[in-house]
Amino acid sequence: MRWIAWTVIIVVVAWIALSWERSEPPAEITFASADVFTMDPQRMSYMQDLRIARSLFEGLCTTASDSREFAPGVAERWENSTDGKTWTFHLNPRARWSNGDPVTSGDFRDAWRRLLLPDTAADYTELLFSVRGAREFFSWRTKALTEYLAGDQHDSAAAQELWDRTRETFTALVGISTPDAHTLVVELDNPVPYWLDLCAFPTLAPIHQKSLDAFTHIDATTGIVRSSPGWTKPGVLVSNGPMKLAEWKYKRGMRLEPNEMYVGANTALAKSVAVVPIEDANTAVLAYESGSIDWISDLTAEFRADLAEASANWLARHRDEYELRIGAGASVDEALAALPDPDPALGERRDVHVLSAFGTDFWSFNCRPTLPGGRLNPFADPRVRRAFAQAVNKEALTKSVTRLNEPIATTLVPRGSIDGYLSPAGLPFDLPRACAELAAAGWVDRNGDGVVENEAGDPFPTVDMLYMTGNPRVKNIAIALAGMWRDGLGVQCELRGKDGKFAKEDLRNGDFMIARGGWYGDYGDPTTFLDLSRTGNGNNDRAFSNAAFDALLAQAERELDPAKRLAILSQAERLLFEVEMPILPLCQYVTLYMYDPTKMRGITRHPRLDQRLSQLHRTEASTAKPAP
Amino acid sequence: MTAFIIRRLLQVPLVLLAIVVVTFSLVWLIPGNPMLQDGRQPPPEIVEAMNRQYQLDRPVAFLGQYLAQVSGVGWLLGWDAVPFDLGPSMRHPDWTVNEIIGAGFPVSATIGLGAIAIALFIGTIAGLIGGLRPGSWMDACTQLVALIGISVPSFVTGSLLIMLLAAKFRLFPIAGWGTPAHAILPMVTLSLPFAAYIARLLRFGLVEQMNTDHMRTARAKGLSRRAAAIRHGLKNAFLPVLSFLGPATAVAMTGSFVVEKVFAVPGLGRHFVEAVLGKDITLVMGVVLVYALLLVLLNLLVDVLYAWIDPRIDLAHVQAR
Repeated sequence: MRWIAWTVIIVVVAWIALSWERSEPPAEITFASADVFTMDPQRMSYMQDLRIARSLFEGLCTTASDSREFAPGVAERWENSTDGKTWTFHLNPRARWSNGDPVTSGDFRDAWRRLLLPDTAADYTELLFSVRGAREFFSWRTKALTEYLAGDQHDSAAAQELWDRTRETFTALVGISTPDAHTLVVELDNPVPYWLDLCAFPTLAPIHQKSLDAFTHIDATTGIVRSSPGWTKPGVLVSNGPMKLAEWKYKRGMRLEPNEMYVGANTALAKSVAVVPIEDANTAVLAYESGSIDWISDLTAEFRADLAEASANWLARHRDEYELRIGAGASVDEALAALPDPDPALGERRDVHVLSAFGTDFWSFNCRPTLPGGRLNPFADPRVRRAFAQAVNKEALTKSVTRLNEPIATTLVPRGSIDGYLSPAGLPFDLPRACAELAAAGWVDRNGDGVVENEAGDPFPTVDMLYMTGNPRVKNIAIALAGMWRDGLGVQCELRGKDGKFAKEDLRNGDFMIARGGWYGDYGDPTTFLDLSRTGNGNNDRAFSNAAFDALLAQAERELDPAKRLAILSQAERLLFEVEMPILPLCQYVTLYMYDPTKMRGITRHPRLDQRLSQLHRTEASTAKPAP
Repeated sequence: MTAFIIRRLLQVPLVLLAIVVVTFSLVWLIPGNPMLQDGRQPPPEIVEAMNRQYQLDRPVAFLGQYLAQVSGVGWLLGWDAVPFDLGPSMRHPDWTVNEIIGAGFPVSATIGLGAIAIALFIGTIAGLIGGLRPGSWMDACTQLVALIGISVPSFVTGSLLIMLLAAKFRLFPIAGWGTPAHAILPMVTLSLPFAAYIARLLRFGLVEQMNTDHMRTARAKGLSRRAAAIRHGLKNAFLPVLSFLGPATAVAMTGSFVVEKVFAVPGLGRHFVEAVLGKDITLVMGVVLVYALLLVLLNLLVDVLYAWIDPRIDLAHVQAR
């Protein structure tokens, strides 16, 4: 029996080890989000990181909550020169960092220089390439680092000398200047109508260089300026937004609290906001149901279509009253909260919200003349691409496959998402025309076996459809598409599911005929989508290249009149989706939120779903948080 | 015994070195670049700069520096500021591997130790019930339950426990970490397969022991079947369980990906699988090192315990294996 005693002892010890963890009181608002990657504003690119950064940092301006307007951020006001190329920002002299230091124009310059350094390896470096000399500076530094590595002097003095030279080159080349501590002047190569949008983007947030310096060193062997992990931790990170980082435990979550030094317009409303990463989609729903989280920021559970339907049914029953309240000036959440309670007997609910996201779900056609190994690529022919695109019944896809009734898409820029931009019509579902296009390309069923052949009698090559595994939605769409093409066009398709990383490798090497894609826009301008099809763009997986399209984009860049510019861009998109068809757009993305509007407020309906955590708070009706 | 332990401990660095080199080669062969994420692709110059920064273009230099850094040799020679530095995580730029393991290991170890304790408790009782009365209906029942315990995957038992005890009866929190209550369900879920193995090992060990000469002697001097089994048979029957416990404890303590995912527990197992999928070279190697070290040490502990339980084993005269 001795070992039973041991067992008991081990259990007790394990128990004590656990109890050491002092559990904190729950935050006012807790929400589930994908795992946070980095809190370094210049390096981030994930949606969940950007969402937190919007409250931790404040840029020159901020996006308004429900519209596409801009509100002052650190800059109180700004002017744009008549040629549209020079922006002058006047910073609020009272703006402070969380440690009390004033926020100056130099902090923006330092941050933007950091964003432009190849050393930082920022995903969003290109956002600043419209600034005069920025691209040149980036190439200069890349070249200088290569030369340094090839050279024979590799000591700290040489590395420091290179860094000093880099700073001088930045000042000389790049059109960013700071006439005084509270004025920032930016010169652009061409007028950029969405420039303010970029200034509100978290990667262009200022940086507190002094606190970063303690974690930065210049590597003597490579000359690279490196920041070591650590400066983004709570207690170390100095930020200037309405909230500050109170706690961050690896994969266990984060806690934000109001920043007392903040003087802007977005003062935090909640005493604390906690972010918890819950990977398992079903666990997240259970945690929400049990009351331990208030908001699921991306509902991905496989039964989400049913949840959405339960909410839609409830709303449909009270549609008139809802419209009445919205008409009287209530916000969406106010109106939803005021409606009669859902009837559990009917399976209704109030807490699932389907919102249009600023992104498009699509599949890519490989536009390279041949496939790896010199195999014939039928999709090099735009007629074949148009045939495949017109044979897809997108309505049926969103109705019966994804079951979320997303708005179907015939173009890449989400329709109606950008003021003044007229989306071209694109090509509708039209099976006879699809077959005609395929026949025009030489693919006809010549022997009556239900499969199309070319003139030589060879059947259409089996279509190699590449998709990323892990998301049932993608696989279901792939199966449905293969069925539509088999029945409608008489071609055989083969699905090839691969894990993300491996699929990416195949995309890069052009080893596919049709591949799953998708894109979320970063700023409110069509170019955030159209740039994907520019020759040589890093995200142009299709290797699509069209001189006329590139020329239209270049023409738009030079155009001073915003309306004319948008018309040129619309013309470019028409070329893509009525003639060339490198991309087969399926539908606009939607994001599903799960929260109870009677309990919490502050979630915006911004067109790009920019959420500001500082604005979240509990409603008065539910100040007492239910025990988890 | 002391000489044996010292000899075994001296082998540890060599074993770890071999493991680091093999792991490194395997991870290096995973296609893809850890710097490339899903979604937005950085321009080629940036990818190149990142490769250079992490020495992904020079595998030999990478491994050399890594070994110096991890072993503490680099620190002794004055190259590094701190010894035993497992480096920065490649996929989580805000964290070092030491921090990630420091955060994840205690969680996994707590769940693992708890699970092993529960498994020992349940497994021994079930094994005793079966072993004392082989062929009885109680034996059949425990054997069946053990079979189910081995066969049913953790994501099923875990989800079932959540649905029943957490969602329906609200006895435990659904997911997360922080209070003792958070640990119970993951511990129980993780313990079931181990308990089943222990029950089976112990049951067959006991049945075998019951037919040995010394057991017959014990019965002959008047001990009851149960008393003889517990006093004289259990120790020997426990030996196979003991050799199972060494690696099992290492496995349990380094975290189960499935259990950690189902319960949203921030342990080491989840980090490891994600690191492999993301080709986070430094994190994979760090976790493998911890796992290997644990395995080697626990196996050593088992060998020592063997000698303590079974006096026939004389470690002083065991040649180094």
